[in-house]
Amino acid sequence: MDLVQVQNLCKSYPDAVQGEFRALDNVSFVAKAGEVFGLLGPNGAGKTTALRILATILKPTSGSVRVFNFDVSSQADYVRHSIGFVSNNTAIYDRMSAWEMVEYFGRLYALPDDHLYPRMEKIFRRLQMDDFKECPGAKMSTGMKQKTSIARALIHDPPVLIFDEASLGLDVMVARALQSIVLDLRDQGKCIIYSTHIMREVERLCDRVAIVYKGKVIDSGSLDDLAERHNQEDFEELFFQLLMLDDEDREEKPPALGIPPLNGAVAAAMGVGPQ
Amino acid sequence: MNWSHVKLIFHREVRDQLRDRRTMFTICILPLLLYPLMGMVMMQVAQFHREQHVTIGIIGYENWPDEFPLITEVKNDKIHWKKLPAEGSLIESFVKSDVLPKPEISDASATRPSELSSSPMTAEKVLRQMESDVIIWVPESFKGSIAQDSLVVLSNQRWERSQLAVQYLQERMNDWHANWLRNHLKATEMGANILEPPKVRQIDASDAEMKRALVWSKILPFVMLVWALTGAFYPAIDLCAGEKERGTLETLLCSPARRREIVWGKLLTVMCFSIGTALLNLASMHTTASIVMSQFAGLGAGDMVAAMGPLPLHSMGWLILLVIPISAMFSALALAVACLARSTKEGQYYLMPLLLVGMPLVMLPMIPGVVLSRGTSIIPVTGAVLMSRALMDGEYTHALLHLPTVSTVTVLCCLLAVRWAVRQFESESVMFRDVERASMKQWIRNVWRQREDTPTTNEAVLCGLLILVCLFFGRLALGGMSLTWSSIVQSTIVIQLAMILAPALIMATILTRSVRKSLRLNRPDGVELAGAVLLAISLHPTYAAFASMVGAEYKLGEQTIGMLMQFDSIIASTPIWSVLFVLALIPAICEELAFRGFLFAGLIRNGGHVRAILLSSILFGLSHGVLQQTITAATLGLLIGWLAYRTGGVACSMAFHCVHNSLSMLLAAHSSRGSGVPHWLAWALQQNDGRIAYTNTWCTLSVGVSIALIAWFATKKSFAASLNPKETELRRNSPDIEPNLRFRKNAFLP
Repeated sequence: MDLVQVQNLCKSYPDAVQGEFRALDNVSFVAKAGEVFGLLGPNGAGKTTALRILATILKPTSGSVRVFNFDVSSQADYVRHSIGFVSNNTAIYDRMSAWEMVEYFGRLYALPDDHLYPRMEKIFRRLQMDDFKECPGAKMSTGMKQKTSIARALIHDPPVLIFDEASLGLDVMVARALQSIVLDLRDQGKCIIYSTHIMREVERLCDRVAIVYKGKVIDSGSLDDLAERHNQEDFEELFFQLLMLDDEDREEKPPALGIPPLNGAVAAAMGVGPQ
Repeated sequence: MNWSHVKLIFHREVRDQLRDRRTMFTICILPLLLYPLMGMVMMQVAQFHREQHVTIGIIGYENWPDEFPLITEVKNDKIHWKKLPAEGSLIESFVKSDVLPKPEISDASATRPSELSSSPMTAEKVLRQMESDVIIWVPESFKGSIAQDSLVVLSNQRWERSQLAVQYLQERMNDWHANWLRNHLKATEMGANILEPPKVRQIDASDAEMKRALVWSKILPFVMLVWALTGAFYPAIDLCAGEKERGTLETLLCSPARRREIVWGKLLTVMCFSIGTALLNLASMHTTASIVMSQFAGLGAGDMVAAMGPLPLHSMGWLILLVIPISAMFSALALAVACLARSTKEGQYYLMPLLLVGMPLVMLPMIPGVVLSRGTSIIPVTGAVLMSRALMDGEYTHALLHLPTVSTVTVLCCLLAVRWAVRQFESESVMFRDVERASMKQWIRNVWRQREDTPTTNEAVLCGLLILVCLFFGRLALGGMSLTWSSIVQSTIVIQLAMILAPALIMATILTRSVRKSLRLNRPDGVELAGAVLLAISLHPTYAAFASMVGAEYKLGEQTIGMLMQFDSIIASTPIWSVLFVLALIPAICEELAFRGFLFAGLIRNGGHVRAILLSSILFGLSHGVLQQTITAATLGLLIGWLAYRTGGVACSMAFHCVHNSLSMLLAAHSSRGSGVPHWLAWALQQNDGRIAYTNTWCTLSVGVSIALIAWFATKKSFAASLNPKETELRRNSPDIEPNLRFRKNAFLP
């Protein structure tokens, strides 16, 4: 079942310097239940914008976006109930403990007490968070914060989970733990949208990917499909090739208004590669 | 709206704030400590001031009459007298040579010591050398002729101790003189009683409590404003900018809580802290002041204590009631402003401007003579403060009379502020603002490249403010001119062309692609033009009645009335066509091009016609210097703005404005001239106390005509629509279709 359907999504912002800045340009993809869909792209490609639109934080300029068959613009309330959003900056309140934080969001989702507390116990146990239940946000390590963030996103058991560069700044141990959580969730039948610019994660986690560059999806499909299509087994190499090709493409065409002059692949490469 | 969300958010935010030590310190602990500490310091200073001793040097005390000595034995004397040697000292030579008029030149030069010429003594040096705060010089001749010979007092007014010493000395001298006089009078048959002024016994109708309430009611609202705002601001920054900074806002925005619910939850939190801080400060300040004052009472400062003693309980109650609307308003404002900030640091910068906006509203009621009236009750905050004062004074009926206005204004302001805050939360560009790329050159280039046919909203607002600033300085510069016809012509032309038209015209030329569209110059439609002219004529009696009503409510000053009379007589003695040209035609053209042209074109974008009409009329009103004119012009501006909106350009509003001004000028000129009403106008005009006024028949009739004309304009197919049907239609169907259109155009590029 296609839980996330994005069709011809465009998003533009007014920009003080360039006038109008087009962050997303005709982006389309679908993600199914029980799969991890990777949104792959260098920094500033538009991944976060796309995910924010999925999470109803931003409104699309045009195009249709449906989550769990609800429209993000007209049925935002329903969409919010069916997604969990984990952002890259962990988003933890400094003066709230992990337990209080998860409880707060549980109540915002209007979970009744007899449902909320058993669920919280379960999530805390599964994410191994019982040790720092009462620890205030300000004193948590990045790993603890990310776990709390995930627990918050899971509290209402949403069918769709969005991870926006969730592994940013995590050490190897915690990153591994995060990956196993994600795979675990996938096996439970959740639809997971996972944005990243780290190739290793893509190879390990994603069933299908869309490569986003400068607001456009330049290619998408399963990893095997992509490898076959571009005749390149090494995924990092493949990614880099695609970006270069796209840059060449753009140089031939006059750049559309709003897209900065290109000098792209080099800059993009800086955001690529294992961190 | 789901109130359980609001409640949840409110609970969380309050708990969060209570856990924040910095906030708690600033808004709770600080007031509790601040006032007692301030009180203590004040007591110390007062103690110091009372016990300060001064040293007064006296030269030639042997010349003082022995029977009435100046230096007397007083217990705990504040003055330490220091007798200085009369002869041979530097002071003597200094005083003799530099201060005293020298009777004979040869004599003076003989006694002047030689070192004086080499190193000139200054008074300061002398005072320092003699370790005195003040030196008094008693000339030799003083003993014999007290009245005739003057004493010389050498002081340094830069030193506070010296000032104090002079004051003490003066007191002592006055006492001494009175004593001396009394003794002399005793010897005569008049007796000493003749010196005593008649005794006055004052009876004050007000009781001390009421008076105290009044004093407090002038001070406390001010304190309340500062603290209500401070108490609102720090939590507001933490709740908005702080959440942005931590990234938690994003997660909250994708939770089931809607934006409006989030705003209300946060607003209630901010309000809670604002009220709490204001009340804590009031209580702390009031208690401390009462205690300090009672201490002063023990030290013999009864009057001050009577004025500043504790406030009666019911007055306190009214003040506490006042806290709620003020806190509500400033909380909403603080929240909206805090949303604009990207970080807590940026948020701090916004406190001062907000405080400056609020300040005049609280300062206004402190001006003596400002009381609750129809005029003051419509001013936000000021009305509420005056209302609470009236209640404290026990004028309940008076307060009740103005309750509807004050509460309406207050609630309206609160709702507007909340709405603003909600809009900030709904705006993507505000919530997810990136750090702007700081390249001035690129920005300017972009402004140039991106300029459109009509100005942007920001440019329009900027233009309005620019005009106001120009007018302010222009009026100051032209203010000194005498009132003659030539000066009126000069100042009108300078103001109209250089300060009103020029900013709009320059901005239209530089910032937009089409000057014609920016100034909303349209080809006038003959029928509409006639309609506008007729409307101006038929509406003039209503306007005149309204203006006189405003004049009755906000009385003109004596000086202004005098100026107006003079102005009218000048108009009467000048050829009428030149008056109409300068005072009706030129203002109509310039003001309309600026306010209903450039400003309107920028403000009306994206379906903002209500905004355009409102803002342009407010700015138009403000461009008239006098308050009364501001009110009438702003009101009329609403109608002219609406006319400009309905007809799609400035032509009709220009015609209306010109005819309106002409009628005012004609009436004023004819009244002053005293030439009477022409026969053929007898149905509309009549002579009334030497002034020409509209007849009752025409007044009544004109209202009907005006309503009919307005209805015609309202129902008539708008000229604007026929001018550019496609664009208007599109915009009406989808307000944000514009970016899409542009977007598609680009997409089809090869």
